[in-house]
Amino acid sequence: MAVTRFQFLSTFSRQFSSISNAHIVQPKLRIEEIRGKRISIFDKEYKRQQSLIPRLEKIEVAYEGFDNETTTLVMNKGVSTPYNCAQHISEHLMKNSVVAEVNGEIWDLHRPIPSDCTLKLLSMKPENQHQASLVNKTFWRSCSYLLGAVVEGSFQDDISVTLHSFPPANVRSGSFVYDVQLSLDDWVPSLNDFRQIAATFQKFVRQNHTFQRLDIDSSVALKMFEDNAFKADQIPHIATKSSSGNTVTVYRCGDHIDISRGPMIASTSLVGRCSIAAVHRLDSRIYRFQGVALPSEIYINHFAFGILETRARKLNPARTPELKSN
Amino acid sequence: MNQADLSKLVSALRIAVKPKPRLFASPEGPAGRLRKLKATVTALVKYERIELNYPRAEEAQSYAERLISDAIRNGDCHKHTMEMADYWLDEKQLIHKLFKVLVPRYKEYNSSYTKLVLGPKTYPGYYAGTAILELKGNPFPALQPATQNYHYWLHNVLLGEAKREFRVAKAETNANLSEPVASKN
Repeated sequence: MAVTRFQFLSTFSRQFSSISNAHIVQPKLRIEEIRGKRISIFDKEYKRQQSLIPRLEKIEVAYEGFDNETTTLVMNKGVSTPYNCAQHISEHLMKNSVVAEVNGEIWDLHRPIPSDCTLKLLSMKPENQHQASLVNKTFWRSCSYLLGAVVEGSFQDDISVTLHSFPPANVRSGSFVYDVQLSLDDWVPSLNDFRQIAATFQKFVRQNHTFQRLDIDSSVALKMFEDNAFKADQIPHIATKSSSGNTVTVYRCGDHIDISRGPMIASTSLVGRCSIAAVHRLDSRIYRFQGVALPSEIYINHFAFGILETRARKLNPARTPELKSN
Repeated sequence: MNQADLSKLVSALRIAVKPKPRLFASPEGPAGRLRKLKATVTALVKYERIELNYPRAEEAQSYAERLISDAIRNGDCHKHTMEMADYWLDEKQLIHKLFKVLVPRYKEYNSSYTKLVLGPKTYPGYYAGTAILELKGNPFPALQPATQNYHYWLHNVLLGEAKREFRVAKAETNANLSEPVASKN
């Protein structure tokens, strides 16, 4: 049963060793090594892209706020983000903005603005249906991403964890999903396992990591994800679907980097209550982790949250990952 | 018994009317109370939004609602209604406003005609504070922000879906329960 029981082995919670044993809990060298390597590639690419800007030019951002009031902000081209615009306006916007609308197009809050535009900052309590669907999907997508980040670091050393992918966000299904391959056959998680993953999730989220976006060339992406067979497979397909034909979008949150097409929320401080509802076995070794979470701005009764958790336990009908070879 | 059905004589008011009237003691006695209430009702009809202390506002609200309700039910040719309008409205041009402006405005209403909003308490203590009494449909900006529709917020979307699933499942179990009974018959 040692295989099914797992402990916290990530950097931010060094587990105490039990009194009598000789085996000390080792930090997850493999995962940390991999993450460190990815981060160094990410940082290098980020610095390179920043250095491409020869000198700072100014752009005019027309911010549309409450009651259709417009303000013009003079920002730096290719450097200033909607978050910087919010910093000029109010703390409430800084803290509560999830995602921005730049010229009507949904935009990450920490993504630089390239030219003159109209800006809207959306929170988790939006004003109309259209904004709400954008914001909810973004939140759900970010939660899937975070689930992957947490699951990667949650298992013991001897179990190899390979993140596969997550399907497009579907809020109405009631749960967000990450498909992971574990080197475990017939793993049935216990209630304690769920609680531990959820606790790790909460801990990670409380550290208020921001989501940093980067558009990279598919070759750089392949170098970054060379240890993950599934992602290396997916990268060419993703790259061909992008606008330039060769770029892949990656997001960095804390120590974790992952591929995702859509916009993400501004920071993990926006996630409030979260819980891991179920783990379903899809194929021989592929497990579907399902969770449900709500933003920190929205309060809900514990009984009502229980209803959401119960619904999230059902197998999410999103597309299953197709495996070419097991 | 032989008690006549009095509920049909007057339209039901859509506010909570208290069973006992407030005393509002004054040197003139009950006449003084009515004089002050008349002034309040007149001001409400004239200005459409007034700020005053809560007890008088609540009292005047019921009289104003009754006046408007009778004016809608009986019209201006009804003798008693006109007498009441003449009694309650100190400024006589407001009688015209009542029958020609307010009655058409409130004819199709299914809610109360007035709104009582609590106002600020100017000093600390256990007392009722001020209130703002207004006629609905007045031309001024709203006192309170318009109620938002939250059904597309994340938690409501999730709960809505859960509710739908639950109801479908319940309908199915009900259908299953009724089938064996039908087959028996």
